[in-house]
Amino acid sequence: MTEPVLEVRNLSITYTVGAGEFPAVTNISLKLYPGKVVGIVGETGCGKSTLAKAIPRLLPEPPATIGGGQIIFRGTDLVKVTKRQLPMVRGTGIGMIFQEPLNSLNPAYRVFDQVAESIRIRHYRDMGYVKTFQGGEVPFDYSKRPTATVSSSLTKPFVPDGAVGEVVRDRLRTRSDYRKEVLEYLRLVRINDPETILDLFPHELSGGMRQRIMIAMALSERPAVLIADEPTSALDVTIQAQVLTLMKELIDEVQTAILFISHDLGVIAETADFVGVMYAGQIVEYGPVAEVFHSPRHPYTKALLRAAPNRYKSEGQLSAMAGSVPNLSRLPSGCRFHPRCPLVRPACKAKLPTLDPVDPSNPDPEARVHASACFFQSEVPSLP
Amino acid sequence: MAPTPPASRPDSSARVVWRVLRSNPLSLGGFALIVLIGVVAAVVAIDPHLLIPYGPQQITGAYHARPSWAHPFGTDGNSFDVYSNVLLALPLDLGIGILIAGSALLGGGTLGLIAGFFDRPGTLGGALSVVIMRITDIFLSFPSLILALAITRALGLGVGPTVLAIGLTWWPYYVRLVRGEVLAVKGLPYVVAARASGVSEWRILARHVIRNVLEPVVVFFTLDIGTVLVTYSTIGFIGVASKYPSAQPEWGAMLAFYQSSGAINAYPWEVFAPGAAIFVTVFAFSLLGDGLRDILDPRTRRAFVRSSAGREPPAEVPATALPSGTVPPSAPANDLGAPA
Repeated sequence: MTEPVLEVRNLSITYTVGAGEFPAVTNISLKLYPGKVVGIVGETGCGKSTLAKAIPRLLPEPPATIGGGQIIFRGTDLVKVTKRQLPMVRGTGIGMIFQEPLNSLNPAYRVFDQVAESIRIRHYRDMGYVKTFQGGEVPFDYSKRPTATVSSSLTKPFVPDGAVGEVVRDRLRTRSDYRKEVLEYLRLVRINDPETILDLFPHELSGGMRQRIMIAMALSERPAVLIADEPTSALDVTIQAQVLTLMKELIDEVQTAILFISHDLGVIAETADFVGVMYAGQIVEYGPVAEVFHSPRHPYTKALLRAAPNRYKSEGQLSAMAGSVPNLSRLPSGCRFHPRCPLVRPACKAKLPTLDPVDPSNPDPEARVHASACFFQSEVPSLP
Repeated sequence: MAPTPPASRPDSSARVVWRVLRSNPLSLGGFALIVLIGVVAAVVAIDPHLLIPYGPQQITGAYHARPSWAHPFGTDGNSFDVYSNVLLALPLDLGIGILIAGSALLGGGTLGLIAGFFDRPGTLGGALSVVIMRITDIFLSFPSLILALAITRALGLGVGPTVLAIGLTWWPYYVRLVRGEVLAVKGLPYVVAARASGVSEWRILARHVIRNVLEPVVVFFTLDIGTVLVTYSTIGFIGVASKYPSAQPEWGAMLAFYQSSGAINAYPWEVFAPGAAIFVTVFAFSLLGDGLRDILDPRTRRAFVRSSAGREPPAEVPATALPSGTVPPSAPANDLGAPA
């Protein structure tokens, strides 16, 4: 496999609220590769969104503190980057799509002004008008990012780094230059009649439209890494499918690395290449999507899959998982899942299991990634 | 690609303002009244003789005359023309209102922005924020009128000291208002989204926070000009600020003088004229505030603009209306069997 564009190593995040400490994320490691999608699933409150916001350092610190670990983006540890440098990484380096489409656009500006702001940020960085992120051993080189115009990226396959010198960088000077570019991106996210939408305010648009404009804004900066925090949760199923199709096309075109966070197993199955299952702030199982969903090796994954309603069969009662995610300030000893686990043994209460490979001798390197944090992972397939 | 139809021009701000005003007669009236008051004040300040037949302390020979064409608001016991005095006071009273409220908006608003936007504990901004808010609380714990009176007594009588005294007590309200609004806005998803897309902190402050705080603050400001006027007139009424009759009349002092001279029963027009002047000015600013709210907030603006322009919001894109060449949405996404 190629070099990861972003690597999270042993990241831990704690919220300090009042006198209590809540370890929202414990010891998480992840690698994101260009053109690949890593999905994160888990119940509400398991730390998914905290992880998403921690990577571009968007968590308010305090109350959040990064207890340990590294976020290596293009050779630089973002945990050590100063506050002044952070905006230079965000947007063009690490972009983000949020889960609240209704409030994620500024009510005071028309659609044009909002999308144009994102385009302006990317453009100024591309043209070297503003300082971009430098630091670490490998300087952050924005010329390495794709700079082709959108229209060419839609018609031609994406040409990676080597061809940068041949791509003509258009200068955006006037409002009509920006207007043209904004229209391109609105068409990219399949907005009908973009000329009209351009001049509307966010409150005049439906949730699905706003979400697509958010996506257009994030994509218009052509980020190297895109973090999508439940981008489709607020949308209905038809729009959801459109947005997912769109994102998949873009992955192929732009070679963005995507971290896709969702509580919807179906969406992850549809979109992701790899999936991490989170429970109480930890990744309990990680691997290729097909592997994890078809032969889960952690009792939690198994239970989660069982709880997902099947659309084709009416089985009467939905199977619900007993219990709920533990309170983070009073985590159980040993394995955090043991109070709800059908396989629980005395060893589970004594020691926290580490993420161990399921099949280290597998010849396929992708399959070797599959790992589970369970002492008795070999017994999981026999569970009902 | 097929040629696209020419895009409709976005509404220019002047046209939007006109539409909003036209659809709300009260705001339109407020704006017209403010313009009228402003023009009259300017004319009086530049050349009083264009509008005012008599000087402030000119003996007209008519004592306690009823309102007539010669004396629109009558004359008083000194045979001074009330209309001339009321109009002569307009530039002073209006200037005081705008000066005090304006400096409170700038000073208090800036402090409120700092206290609201940089209030993260453990930083320099956080410490500054605490200091600003405690000083503000101290000022707010005194009734501003009493505090202003006390400061006026300390500084001496007259217009200048009174303006300074009110100004010194006026800014804390803006600190509190602006800080509260900033705290509410800066946590909203669109501010976080802007930060995530690489917008610098200063630009977030200017473009996203200040713009969305503007509407309630500007509305408060216009209403507040009226409040300042009333406060100044109150201090004038007590007799601390200005004396009447004088070369520079002032509405509050006029009211106090006529009221104490027992004119209210025998010669009600003498009291009515400066009182009505205060009322009309304050009322005009209230109407202006309502109109400004409609203009500044696109969400309330919509109702007016739509109803008068008849432009329908575009419908959601139907799935069948996707442009040719796009991939139709694949099978619904919550199917677990997909990766097989």
